[in-house]
Amino acid sequence: MTDTSLVQQVRLHVFGEAAATGRVPQRGQIAAALRAPETAVQEALRELASGKAIILAPHDGDIWAANPFCAVPSPFRVAARGTRYAAICIWDALGIPAALGADATIHAACGDCGAPMTLEVVGDRLASAEGVVHFAVPALRWWDNIGFT
Amino acid sequence: MLLFRDEEHVDCWCRSRDLTRGALLTPDQAWRLARAWYAGKLSPAWRRHTLEETEALLAGAGLTGAFWNLRAGGGTIPT
Repeated sequence: MTDTSLVQQVRLHVFGEAAATGRVPQRGQIAAALRAPETAVQEALRELASGKAIILAPHDGDIWAANPFCAVPSPFRVAARGTRYAAICIWDALGIPAALGADATIHAACGDCGAPMTLEVVGDRLASAEGVVHFAVPALRWWDNIGFT
Repeated sequence: MLLFRDEEHVDCWCRSRDLTRGALLTPDQAWRLARAWYAGKLSPAWRRHTLEETEALLAGAGLTGAFWNLRAGGGTIPT
């Protein structure tokens, strides 16, 4: 049975660290910070993933994304509060200033040609933007493959 | 979901993958969706959106119609 208290502690630690540093901690770091067994932390991470609070990488069980924060380098980069963040898509890139309640500059690239594109969030509004956002997959099927929506 | 320079680049990307075009949003719509979706994600009180809340968030960004329907197939709640 999963320890619901530990699940909450893990969630708050993961998101707190990601927001403060731009780095999403992994199970060893989480276990050390919370002084909890790594196996229990991994179980808590699986519980959070099953509730779609985070996404785990398919093979090693590491956190891929604690949305909107991405644990690995990506083409969607966000600068906010003097910290650099990564996001898995443009929705999450915009979600970072939304979650932080902070101004941000988003550096992205055209999904087709790779041309650099920039969006800015200032004072809780989209102050400058370019381009169009495309969802390839209908909403009901997003979780068929959350890495391709 | 990806960002593109314009609709021509969306269509070029779709053709290269043999996909039909999905749904287009303005950046402002995407911002409204992201703001509504992720506000409170860092809070201890955060919980996953219900189906009804998700529908309201989508509608609030002007995203209605079949592409955004969450109920066909039994009411799966996305993301």
